[in-house]
Amino acid sequence: MIWLVMIVTGIFTFGTRFVMLNGWASNALPNWLAEALKFVPISVLTAIVIPAVLIDPVNGQIAIIGNTRFVAAIVATAIALLTHNVIVTISSGLGVLWLLQLSI
Amino acid sequence: MQKPSINRSAPAEFWLGVSHVLPLQIGVVPFGLVFGVLGLGSGLSGLQTILLSSIIFGGASQVAFAQLLAAGTPLLVVGGSVGIVNLRHILYSASMAQHLVHLSLGWRIALAYLLTDEAYAVSIKRFDVGPNTQHQHYHLFGSGITLWIVWQLSTIAGVIAGATIPDFLSLSFAIPLTFIAIVAPSINLRADLVTCLVAAALSLICQPLPWKLWIIVATVGGITAGWITHCFSKKSMQPKTTHNGET
Repeated sequence: MIWLVMIVTGIFTFGTRFVMLNGWASNALPNWLAEALKFVPISVLTAIVIPAVLIDPVNGQIAIIGNTRFVAAIVATAIALLTHNVIVTISSGLGVLWLLQLSI
Repeated sequence: MQKPSINRSAPAEFWLGVSHVLPLQIGVVPFGLVFGVLGLGSGLSGLQTILLSSIIFGGASQVAFAQLLAAGTPLLVVGGSVGIVNLRHILYSASMAQHLVHLSLGWRIALAYLLTDEAYAVSIKRFDVGPNTQHQHYHLFGSGITLWIVWQLSTIAGVIAGATIPDFLSLSFAIPLTFIAIVAPSINLRADLVTCLVAAALSLICQPLPWKLWIIVATVGGITAGWITHCFSKKSMQPKTTHNGET
């Protein structure tokens, strides 16, 4: 079953890359669609990040106080805004998380 | 018109593509490593993790796949969410079309498969700047295949390393951190911020929905909110220079 999902997802991914190159469709997207698609990455990545940071995996509740991942994410966000560097952001976030886990 | 130095040969275009994309590998290698490590942690087998890198061949999509799988998301919702992550490729495909649509079907299939964020970024620059020559598609072939090779190798290295990295390092937290690194600097307009806030709020509010559908509801909600904000800010900017219309 997991293989099937992997392959279907792969075919779909290829489809999104090939769709405008197929030669028979018009190669211009409607304006509204092109504009809406620009919001896809921010929206979907935020929707994955927020629960991964805020939801307690044990009880499924929103956790803020005493949540080490929340603190690490805040620091990482600040670093990301300052440096625009993926590697520095990941390492500083993990660094903060490790420090907090050690000290608790 | 006929400047021989400018009408580059196919190998020259190919190597130009390779050299343009090489500096970006500084970001691709760690991402591939992280994916390799996390793929294993999310419950995929080593073989599945490695093959996902050629079946999907897209960093953010694969990492989202691993993240959702690890969170126990039903497979259909995993597939649907990763599909949504990939929708941005339609934009790349559309803007590449004028440069590639005359090629044979084989070429178009190969180049579509290789059309990733990084290859798109360097090759569309080459096509837009010109000169528009007969062999220019070799540039995208060069940039794309370079990324493909580096991505496969770093995934394999990550899978090998992943088997030896202990759990207490919380490496799975590298996924949200990667996404933070991508999203935070990309918020430039008010509409971007609205997208982010609405997606964030819905992703928490909709947690009780069955089958982890919150991910799809939050994403579609965020896109819609961003798009509506974008339409309104366009409208409110137009009349200022001309006349005080309806608004």
